[in-house]
Amino acid sequence: MTPRLQVRGLRKWFYSQRSERRLQVFDEITLEVLPSEFLTIVGPSGCGKTTLLRVLDGLIPYEEGEILLDGHSVVKPGADKGFVFQDSSLLPWRTVMDNVILGLELQRIPRRDARQRALQHIELVGLKGFEDHYPYELSGGMQQRVNLARALVVDPAILLMDEPFASLDAQTREIMQAELLKLWAQDRKTVLFVTHQIEEAIFLADRVAVLTARPSRVREVVEIKLPRPRRLEMKRTPEFLDHADHIWRMIQEEVYRTMARTGHDRD
Amino acid sequence: MTATEVTAAGKRAAREEFAPEARPGRVRSQVLGALSLAAGLVAWQLAYDLFIQRSLFISSPTKIVATFWRLLKEGELYPHIWASGAEFAYGYVLSVVVGIPLGFFMATNRKINHYLDPWVAALYATPRIALAPLVVIWFGIGLFSKSLIVFLGAVFYIILNTYTGIRGVRENLIEVVKAFGGSRIQVFFKVMVPDAIPAIITGMRLAVGRGIIGVVVAEWFGATAGLGYMVYYYSQVFQPSEVLVGIGLLTAIGYVSFYLLERLQQWISPWYQIQIERELGGTHE
Repeated sequence: MTPRLQVRGLRKWFYSQRSERRLQVFDEITLEVLPSEFLTIVGPSGCGKTTLLRVLDGLIPYEEGEILLDGHSVVKPGADKGFVFQDSSLLPWRTVMDNVILGLELQRIPRRDARQRALQHIELVGLKGFEDHYPYELSGGMQQRVNLARALVVDPAILLMDEPFASLDAQTREIMQAELLKLWAQDRKTVLFVTHQIEEAIFLADRVAVLTARPSRVREVVEIKLPRPRRLEMKRTPEFLDHADHIWRMIQEEVYRTMARTGHDRD
Repeated sequence: MTATEVTAAGKRAAREEFAPEARPGRVRSQVLGALSLAAGLVAWQLAYDLFIQRSLFISSPTKIVATFWRLLKEGELYPHIWASGAEFAYGYVLSVVVGIPLGFFMATNRKINHYLDPWVAALYATPRIALAPLVVIWFGIGLFSKSLIVFLGAVFYIILNTYTGIRGVRENLIEVVKAFGGSRIQVFFKVMVPDAIPAIITGMRLAVGRGIIGVVVAEWFGATAGLGYMVYYYSQVFQPSEVLVGIGLLTAIGYVSFYLLERLQQWISPWYQIQIERELGGTHE
């Protein structure tokens, strides 16, 4: 099967404007995401998970390597990628409907068709009846549903999700995880999901990519063999806990390595 | 798992998370404010009736209202209101038309900012009202120089607030539009304009007060009509009621403009006030 997304030898530096110094963020990231696969990325904090997603979306540039989406090089953002933001980033002056419609509006799709598609997706994420509400009238969980609908409505080839549940409380987070999987089961869109929560990474994923500390590489890609549909109870099975333990150890090592290198606890 | 099941479950969860907006205390604070104002007026009236009765220097609320009706009936007020209104309108509209683009270009273009910032900073620090006599020397006592004085008083608030508003446009919202393939023009119209508008209107509201001071001062340096002229004239002939009618009308014009702009702000950006309240109250989530 040809991969949907191919990342080969990706390297990136951050340049400080004041000094000549540069900071290497990625050291040869190589990764493949298969069609209909749910791949999650975890890593020690500060390893550039969010930066990676933004590079893959074409929002920020990279220096070396290659990013191919369905065989075409990614050079700029666009409707072939759906981005789900960490802090929901809804436009506060737009209603739920107008937020969801944004991507279609930017592509100048006629308003009537766009509304219809948006309505379907609002319904899909369980917000039917809230079309005319403003973001400030919604809870954090509902805002993230809108965030998700906004990305899905453009019918992207891949969904890039940047810790979308990080700011939610533990219970809402679990509800959202379960619902995301239900949604995903319907049409099996390719998903690349970044998180710092190991448990979340395992529960959602077909495979979990573990990044090293900066400059980051892919340390290991762990195949998660839990059956689908996933249920929240599975989080307590021995298989699940084995995975969690294995990934946790790797991240632990990376954190210690960073601390040894910099001589102090950075976080 | 069918689609309807998913939808139903999601909807239930969503409803449980949903908490409707509750904003008590607003009516209460309005009532208390009105009471305070009324108490102050009553105290003034009582003090006047009990201790002063007649004065060349002080008036009372009832005398001011009576004077207002008399001047209104005699038709003396209209030319004053008309003259001051025109001076204010021209000067104010000009400051909006000039101030918003200037503030915008200073915020978005580094070069323009380099050139203009020293001028804006210096002129902002200048007591510009002190320039009024000079403006009159240069341009006479006509409508033009008076509007110019209003303009000088008002425009900097609009420039600075537009600048601040555009600078304060949230990066993450710009990124959203970019991430969905938005062009620069789309970023401008769909994020920068709506996100900056509340700050720009705040600048317009601050500018109202400055513009009215401009009207009054401009008329002190030579005029034949206008509320500032009226205030000045009647203070010279020791008629405090007429003076206070003039001041009251200037206040009313200022208040109404300020209020209308507040309503405009709420109408264009209903989300803004609530966001501010959330940030101040710290009750979000």
